[in-house]
Amino acid sequence: MANPWRQRFLGWARPRAPEALPAHIDRHRVYVLPTPFGGFIGALLATMLLGALNYNNNPALLLGFLLAAAVHNSFVRAHLNLSGLRLLALQAEPVAAGTALHLHCLVQGDGRRDRPALLLDCDHIAAGAALHGADAQRVAVQWTPAHRGWQQPPRIRVQTRFPLGLAVAWCYFWPRAQVLVYPRAERNPPPLPSAVGLGSAQAQHGRGDELHHLRDYRNGDPLRDVAWKSSARAGQLLVREYEQPIANEMSLIWPATHGLAHEARISRLAAWVDMAEQQQRHYCLQLPQRQIAAGRGPAHRHACLRALAELGNA
Amino acid sequence: MRDQRLPGNIRTACLLAAALAALPLLRLTPLWLAALLLATGVIAALSSRERPWPLLLRLLLTIALSALVVIASDFRFGRDTACALLLAMLALKVAEVRGLRDARSLAGFALFATFAAFLQDQGPITLLLALPALAFTLDAFAQLAAAQAGDGTAIAWQSRLRSAGGRLALAVPLALAGFWLFPRMGTPIWGVPENAVSKTGISGRMSPGDWLDVLSDDSPAFRVRFDGPEPPRRHLYWRGPVLWNFDGRAWLPEQRMRSAKPAQLIAGEQRYQYELTLEPTEKRYLFALDWPLQTPQNGHLAADLSPYADAPLRALSRYTMRASSDALIEPQLPAAHRQLALDLPPGFNPRTRVLATQWRREGATDGEMIQRALAWINTDFSYNLAAPPLGRHSVDEFLYETRTGFCEHFSSSFVFLMRAGGVPARVVTGYVGGYRNPVGAYWVIQQSDAHAWAEVWLPQRGWVRVDPTAAVAPERVFERYQRDSGIGSFGGALAPMLNVSDWLRRGWNDLVLSYDVARQQLLLQAMGVKPEQSWQGIAVFVVVALLMLALTLLWLARRQTQPLAPVLRAWRRLVRRFERAGLARARHESARRYGERIARQWPGIASQIRSLSQRFTNWRYAQATLAPEQSDALTRDLNRMRPPHRASSQSGDVS
Repeated sequence: MANPWRQRFLGWARPRAPEALPAHIDRHRVYVLPTPFGGFIGALLATMLLGALNYNNNPALLLGFLLAAAVHNSFVRAHLNLSGLRLLALQAEPVAAGTALHLHCLVQGDGRRDRPALLLDCDHIAAGAALHGADAQRVAVQWTPAHRGWQQPPRIRVQTRFPLGLAVAWCYFWPRAQVLVYPRAERNPPPLPSAVGLGSAQAQHGRGDELHHLRDYRNGDPLRDVAWKSSARAGQLLVREYEQPIANEMSLIWPATHGLAHEARISRLAAWVDMAEQQQRHYCLQLPQRQIAAGRGPAHRHACLRALAELGNA
Repeated sequence: MRDQRLPGNIRTACLLAAALAALPLLRLTPLWLAALLLATGVIAALSSRERPWPLLLRLLLTIALSALVVIASDFRFGRDTACALLLAMLALKVAEVRGLRDARSLAGFALFATFAAFLQDQGPITLLLALPALAFTLDAFAQLAAAQAGDGTAIAWQSRLRSAGGRLALAVPLALAGFWLFPRMGTPIWGVPENAVSKTGISGRMSPGDWLDVLSDDSPAFRVRFDGPEPPRRHLYWRGPVLWNFDGRAWLPEQRMRSAKPAQLIAGEQRYQYELTLEPTEKRYLFALDWPLQTPQNGHLAADLSPYADAPLRALSRYTMRASSDALIEPQLPAAHRQLALDLPPGFNPRTRVLATQWRREGATDGEMIQRALAWINTDFSYNLAAPPLGRHSVDEFLYETRTGFCEHFSSSFVFLMRAGGVPARVVTGYVGGYRNPVGAYWVIQQSDAHAWAEVWLPQRGWVRVDPTAAVAPERVFERYQRDSGIGSFGGALAPMLNVSDWLRRGWNDLVLSYDVARQQLLLQAMGVKPEQSWQGIAVFVVVALLMLALTLLWLARRQTQPLAPVLRAWRRLVRRFERAGLARARHESARRYGERIARQWPGIASQIRSLSQRFTNWRYAQATLAPEQSDALTRDLNRMRPPHRASSQSGDVS
């Protein structure tokens, strides 16, 4: 379908607005069209029937009508494969905007028949399902949200080519639901801001002032780090090694991203949260109207990213 | 669409479906070609399993096979050539079936071959072969769709067959509504292309020795049902094309006769009425019992009273006719007709010409000429299908040298002799006699009943039929059904079967093949539709089709409950048996408790029922731990368990 047509169809297709769960597919909401293969068979059938009618070739006509009726029934069966379907629940683990999110759909048949060969999709990648009787099944449908925050998931298309592949029947679930989407993390973020209150110059040197230990000289070590007295004693060149005092608790603060655009600041903070989590450091997050006390671990990360996701637009 | 590679079993299913779909047409192609194409298909199927044949090889084979087919049909392009080409393409297509698209196009085009088969033969066997082809093709479609949906679970072939059969059965109501009521075309928009190689049959041309293939062909030419009295066997001359022109070698019809007004006919007392169902011949020749009193519905009578169809007969055609066996034909012979009926090519058969003039000089009248010729033929000639070939002076050679032959030789020579003697005469081709099928009381006339005889014109008597062959071998002509071939030939054991099978074939012709726009109108009239209002007919079709649709939808949309597991069904039956025997089971009662109560009531079977209820409980709650054989055994044992009869249970109590 050409894109403007597709948009027009989507504006008209049911459901036209998100709906409360559980959603039920009735016959008004199932659309059926021939597949390209169905079109091929249809053309073949039309030729055969026209020829048989022209020649009044009765056995050919009988066979043609038989095939036509079977094709027609396959359209009906494709329709029936979907009508009566239910979406009971929708659940999704939050991910960052721009990455694939799995919408876990709990779909159920109404027990009137088996429903094989269902394909569910949002974007492009379809997930298969086959329902037996009134069984419910969890299907993970991929969706790549573009924006952070609480998002309404798009329509989920369920389609089937059962039984003969001549017809494709499809319908839409559009659950009224809010799915949390984390902000997109900045791709190559600058290193984490160093501990609270440190001057910028020292932070740039990257060296602390507490002597930690001595080690062997390596090519390239600055000469001023060489511990001459100890070297003389030991008979070989030793170098002083300093330890940078790392703040156990670090603050990711909104003003630290000063100078960037609003969304870029959020992206950077989100990236820093991930970095801090990777480096297993305690961190707190300070946002204009919210503060999250220091912490670590998935729950803390979730709280931070959620706070970032929920930030208003500038 | 990404063209994924098909799993082997689905590819096999597609190839099988295509083979079945091609079978009806393959059956109708010449044997050597069918064998060649089949071999090509099988080799292609086996050798291309891993990778398709290279393009160059496919291209070369396509060209080679096409060339072979075209050469085999003598460079004439007809329906049969097209069918053979279609089969060749299908056989080669097999070599490149790997993915979904190839498999689908193969199965689709193979269906086309099934339809093409009906252009060649509309018999019940073709339809019987076509039905499984359709079922298997639908099954192949279903499997391809499942493969496309990524559902690779193999389904047992029994259940696949069942669902394919179900699909066809479900299509029947709608198909029948369409078949009977879909508006038919009165006249075709375009004609059926002809076959390059024609069937055997009366060809409108006769030269001695031509008809051997016709006379050995036992396929039916037409069937006749008389309405009222049936004529005696010796009057059963089915008159076809009349041949006027002799070119020294062959007898041919006179084209001017076709469009001229039929000759004057004064009907006699002896009249018959009959309905004739003619198998398709691709030609325009019709056949009518001597002498036709009316024109057939689908054709006209020529000036020599031979019936011709308005269009080549490409489908079964049927017409009713009246005949008068003792009619007077053309009492006044027009000069042009007389001249035609006496014309002989110069420079052929001098001895016969001399003989005829000599008979005339001896003072023979027209009638005596005929008598003398017949008497001579009767004494000195013999009937033999294995007649030696004749040279340039065919009549001379036959009359003076070989003196053995069959109807062509006799009629050709007789007419030549008559014309040479100044008696107007012509050759008539057609069929004689037939076989009366006691099942169904109708006549079937086979190709091997083909015959040629003569007609001579006599003053006051008009055209008179003279059959010189009958003078030699009347039993050959009239008792033809006792010959060594044909339906009646097997005598005892097989004859009833052959009778019934031909009767069935006739029923097929009546019920299926001859259903056309006229019969449809009759059917609609029976429903109260006036023929002049065509919208009513369409309305009837729509209403009936909708009814059938509703029926189909009801069936399709029915609740398809899960089939009960056999063990569960067996257990429920067992409970019902014991409830009938007087021990009701409470709804909350578990299987083991109910079993225990049974055991207490019937101590004779206590141990068995305890073990059974325990096994059933195990099955119910730990099914995964049981092997399928154990479940089957449980079903069997549950089904065998019966409550003991009152007497035996009492005796059990006593013991």
